[in-house]
Amino acid sequence: MTTRIPAPLTSMALVLLFAAMPVTALASGEIGDHVEDLKAHLGEYDSEVKDFNAKVDGLVDSYAEKGGESVNTAKLIEWWEDVKFHAAVEVNYVPVYASIWQGIYGVKEAIDEGKAAAEVRKQQRALEQAMWKGMGAVMLAAKNQADGGTSEGDDSGKVSGSDAVDRILTNLDEVTIEYAENESEEATEIIHNTYLNLFEGIEGALIEQDAELVEDLEKDFNVGLPKLIENGASVSEVTDYVKAMKKKLKRAQKLLEKGEQDKKDVF
Amino acid sequence: MERRELLRGLAALGLLGSWPMGALGAGDAGDAVSVDELPELEGELTLYLGRGEGGLYEDVIEAIRKRNPKLTLNIRRGPTVALANTLVAEAEASAQQADLFWAVDSGSLGLVSEAGLAKPVREEARSHLREGFRYEDWAPVSGRVRTLPYNPDRLEPKQIPESIMALPDTDLSVGWAPAYGSFQSFVTAMRLLEGDAATRDWLRGMKARTRQYAGELGVVMGVSRGEVDIGLANHYYTLRLKAGQPDAPLELAFTKDDAGSLLNASGVMALRDTDLAHNFIRYLLTQEVQSYLASEAYEIPMVEGVALPEGLPEAASANPPSIELTRLADVRPTLTLMRDAGVL
Repeated sequence: MTTRIPAPLTSMALVLLFAAMPVTALASGEIGDHVEDLKAHLGEYDSEVKDFNAKVDGLVDSYAEKGGESVNTAKLIEWWEDVKFHAAVEVNYVPVYASIWQGIYGVKEAIDEGKAAAEVRKQQRALEQAMWKGMGAVMLAAKNQADGGTSEGDDSGKVSGSDAVDRILTNLDEVTIEYAENESEEATEIIHNTYLNLFEGIEGALIEQDAELVEDLEKDFNVGLPKLIENGASVSEVTDYVKAMKKKLKRAQKLLEKGEQDKKDVF
Repeated sequence: MERRELLRGLAALGLLGSWPMGALGAGDAGDAVSVDELPELEGELTLYLGRGEGGLYEDVIEAIRKRNPKLTLNIRRGPTVALANTLVAEAEASAQQADLFWAVDSGSLGLVSEAGLAKPVREEARSHLREGFRYEDWAPVSGRVRTLPYNPDRLEPKQIPESIMALPDTDLSVGWAPAYGSFQSFVTAMRLLEGDAATRDWLRGMKARTRQYAGELGVVMGVSRGEVDIGLANHYYTLRLKAGQPDAPLELAFTKDDAGSLLNASGVMALRDTDLAHNFIRYLLTQEVQSYLASEAYEIPMVEGVALPEGLPEAASANPPSIELTRLADVRPTLTLMRDAGVL
């Protein structure tokens, strides 16, 4: 079975549903029935991770021995897109999925820019760590799936300001994923939807506590990050920008949590 | 100026249009009731709740739940318009589940009302609403007014036109957020009051002098930063910014008797004619809930005797237009018109 989610759904709505949904669709491309029975495929995923890491290792070895012309870094993306594990981790844990893409581009850009082998190895280690972290997430999801865990859905209760920040953080990971996959339009759409549907909901309370922080994040959402994407910045530039935004959002989250405590009672 | 004087001032200056003079001041009905005067809620209720106000409605619901341990409250949440459509679809399929609908905008209530699903608001609740807000089949819970936030470092109040339709003919730079729901309600009001052709011309005329923002807090912040002279936004964004930055160069102006000073409201309606559903509505109209929404969300209370949110201008001079709020439900022609004009 192959499914591709229509563009509008690849953004926030999909990310919001990732955590507990028994997923039947994939944000960035094809999906297999295997994700509906993760437990039965854990062995296969494990082999794929080992095989992928070995291929990356071989590529980095070649680069270290023979230089940049001896390797085709586009293969890194091809190998990653070929494995079933790709879908398994994407639908279960977006933050790690983002780290894997960042790791792939870390290695790719280090080689493409002719960096020292030691620097490429550093990126390779980060990529391997992300892959194994992804494997851990898939194993946990397989257990939950086998135990019959399901989503409570969007009607389950109050979304606090702090929860909204968590969702924004996840969406920003999704932005980096889409951008790494050359889906600039979708990445920009996620930014816009996240601003309108999530950030706008918290900024009212936040602005009373730290107006400068809100102003800063407003610029990030409406100017900084979309412009980087529009101007075709490198994946690592976008990733770094998102990292800086996430740091500010964590600060915002603490302020919102404090604000919740200080809020007066209704009755 | 004392708070009550401010209320009188707002009313005397005609803040209400179809919402009669005096409605924000002291009225002839009794003051808001305290929650202590209401009966305990017992039984099961299903509420459809349109999302809004950054979770403050949820705080109200939690408080009602805590106070009424024998109440089983089932809640379905979602975008307001989607819930309105669901209610109509469920009724058509004879599968109605909701007892109550609490919507962030009155337009969505209009959709449900037009489908004949709303039960009349009982007098015990209606009589406490501000005069002019006493609708037949829904009770406004809290209101917000369209405003022109401006930067006093960049212009004098006299440079601001009293008519929203005159804004394109000024030399002012304007911040707006066309993708924003409240803005679209405002354009819908303009369409209803001035007609499609005049609204299209207005949008086209504005395009040359506007700077677009993603949301209306962004508009207000843009005004305070001096990026634009003036903005189009709901009142509470300015109040919130001023609460965080009391010295921000930002003031509020209102147009007169047109869509630029539209007063819109969130509201609640009973879909089943039960004591429990109607008493739930009475809880939302208590002194305590109304004060909470005014102080925490800067919304305009809809019940007699409850103070306006802090920070509304002392010399407020708004004069909202006469318009049936539930007519704002039909936003599709507005979106088509905005696309035609190239602003969406």
